[in-house]
Amino acid sequence: MNAQAQADSPQAVADFLRRMRVGIEDGLDPMSAANRAADELPQRLANVAQLVSRRLRGEYHEDEWGFDEEFAEAVYPLFEFLYEVWWRVEANGVLNVPAHGRALLVSNHAGALFPFDASMILLSIMKQHPLPRWARFLVLDWAFVLPFISAFMRRVGGVPASTHNAARLLGQDELVMVFPEGAKGTGKPFSERYRLQRFGRGGFVEVALRTRAPIVPVAVVGSEEIYPKLGDARPLARAVGAPFVPVTPTFPWLGPLGMVPLPSKWRMEFCEPIQVTDYGPDAAEDRRLLFDISEQVRETIQGKLYENLVKRRSAFVSPL
Amino acid sequence: MPGRRVVIVGVAGHWGAELARRLERDPGVDYIAGIDIEPPPVKLERTDFIEADIRSPVLSRLLPATEADTVVHCGILWYPERGRPARVLHDVNVIGTLQLLAACERTSTLQRLVVRGSAAIYGCEGATPYFFTERMARTLPLRTRFQRDVSELEAYVETCARRHPGLVCCILRYQPEIGPDLDTPLARYLELPVVPTQLGWDPRLQLIHADDATGALEAAARAPVRGAVNVAPSGSISLSHILRLARRPTLPIPHPLFGPALERLGRRLGAGPLYGDGVRMLRFGRGVDNERLRAELEYEPRFDAEGAIRDFAAKSPGRRVGPSLHLGDLTGRLSGAVR
Repeated sequence: MNAQAQADSPQAVADFLRRMRVGIEDGLDPMSAANRAADELPQRLANVAQLVSRRLRGEYHEDEWGFDEEFAEAVYPLFEFLYEVWWRVEANGVLNVPAHGRALLVSNHAGALFPFDASMILLSIMKQHPLPRWARFLVLDWAFVLPFISAFMRRVGGVPASTHNAARLLGQDELVMVFPEGAKGTGKPFSERYRLQRFGRGGFVEVALRTRAPIVPVAVVGSEEIYPKLGDARPLARAVGAPFVPVTPTFPWLGPLGMVPLPSKWRMEFCEPIQVTDYGPDAAEDRRLLFDISEQVRETIQGKLYENLVKRRSAFVSPL
Repeated sequence: MPGRRVVIVGVAGHWGAELARRLERDPGVDYIAGIDIEPPPVKLERTDFIEADIRSPVLSRLLPATEADTVVHCGILWYPERGRPARVLHDVNVIGTLQLLAACERTSTLQRLVVRGSAAIYGCEGATPYFFTERMARTLPLRTRFQRDVSELEAYVETCARRHPGLVCCILRYQPEIGPDLDTPLARYLELPVVPTQLGWDPRLQLIHADDATGALEAAARAPVRGAVNVAPSGSISLSHILRLARRPTLPIPHPLFGPALERLGRRLGAGPLYGDGVRMLRFGRGVDNERLRAELEYEPRFDAEGAIRDFAAKSPGRRVGPSLHLGDLTGRLSGAVR
């Protein structure tokens, strides 16, 4: 339907201009002529114009986190293209994501320049879950000191990585994605792909225990090949305050073209949720327990990564 | 049972005068006095005006004489203005509060102290908790002079509370206020015919409606709780959404130039510069959690973050000549949604 609207639009614009000319020839001033011409626009185009005008007049809702569902829907097709065509994502076990209520999705993190894994996990839930829901994701703090990126991230559901934010979101029964590897995961060299890094201090387990949210480990295969990081421009990173500046076979040599991710084949697996409701009220302060659960999650993801790597066979060619 | 005796410090300011007006209607309040260096801007019926400078030690003689049981400190100044440079602000905010606390310690009848502070103590940074709770003060670096002042005066109030366990000390941490007829640098900024913004930034803001700001102050004066309380609307709203709702055309400026540009423009158009705090706030934004306000102070804000802006937009059309040139209105007229 969308493509139809696009095919229609040049024709409609021409029609609009023709009607407007007729109006002006009839002796109307340009504004009323435009009004009259607009009245006769085809319904579909009028709807689009109305949506745009409604947005511009501020008649939309954003929640207290700055998540703007309409905006997310507007950029959805772009990510859908990446999901379906570019990376041919295959997701298994989406039913392990609870259809309602809180849950913490924990995944491996990769993609040196732009970590696309969060968006692809989000899309797989939206596309394949029988009860689709928008997931929120915790984003490396550094992204929120950058113009444009920070505003974009917030509108599509990103929040700065902080245990306070995660706990509040889970308290509101949201689906929250976290990447405990953080910048260590995105910044690892190509040779170490799919080897999980240290899982921070286990802060995500603490939040899950406090809010009694089930932990769903997610293994993502494919994301670690989109930007093969061969080197690190350390002085540049220090100069701009970034955690690292990757050097890939294409970036920065080809300029903006180097930012195009490689079309690897992705496989995603959602594992069985780990329930944490059985632990006592002060379990969140038990370091031992935190590390144990954190390690259990890490091993689950690592195991599933190897399993899916074998099943995928080739990194770039999808089997017929 | 005798009624309450309330002293309002800073009664010449908007909030002090508004509070006095509301307390005058309260039959439970026997006596109201207002302290400031100039008389209140509105006519008050039964408020005694005491002319005194908060920075002078004379306060220690005047305050005990009122036999007050409640002191509400509304004298903290947020914005430097013409004839009131930043140095005077520091004097009034820090030294003034210190003098007031000394006077309070001399007042044996005193039971409650309410200080109208600022949420600036949390700071504005790119990556932060999106809703600061009262326990998260000073976790981020104090970057501006005003922040350091607020932090310092809060420390004095905390010391006072520790030394006098019988005295209920309450600090209200206000997010910036907005209201149809409220004149603050932020309101004047939003009233500009073309509003400059920082290119690529879209801060999440919470602006509390002026009615709610006074309401929370009144609730705190009536039944204060111990410690700090955030005063903010529920939810949050981004600056771009605010400007669309208010139909203000915007002009994005690269952020290093924003402060100077606003200062230049402000001098021309009477909007007044926003200085460090305001500029940081319009880049990074700030949100606070208002759970304590609703649960413990038992004040439910009438307007949420979006409602406050809608009320502001409906009642103050901004300064413009001729029909609105805002894109939203233009496309609205074209598509037939607005006539």
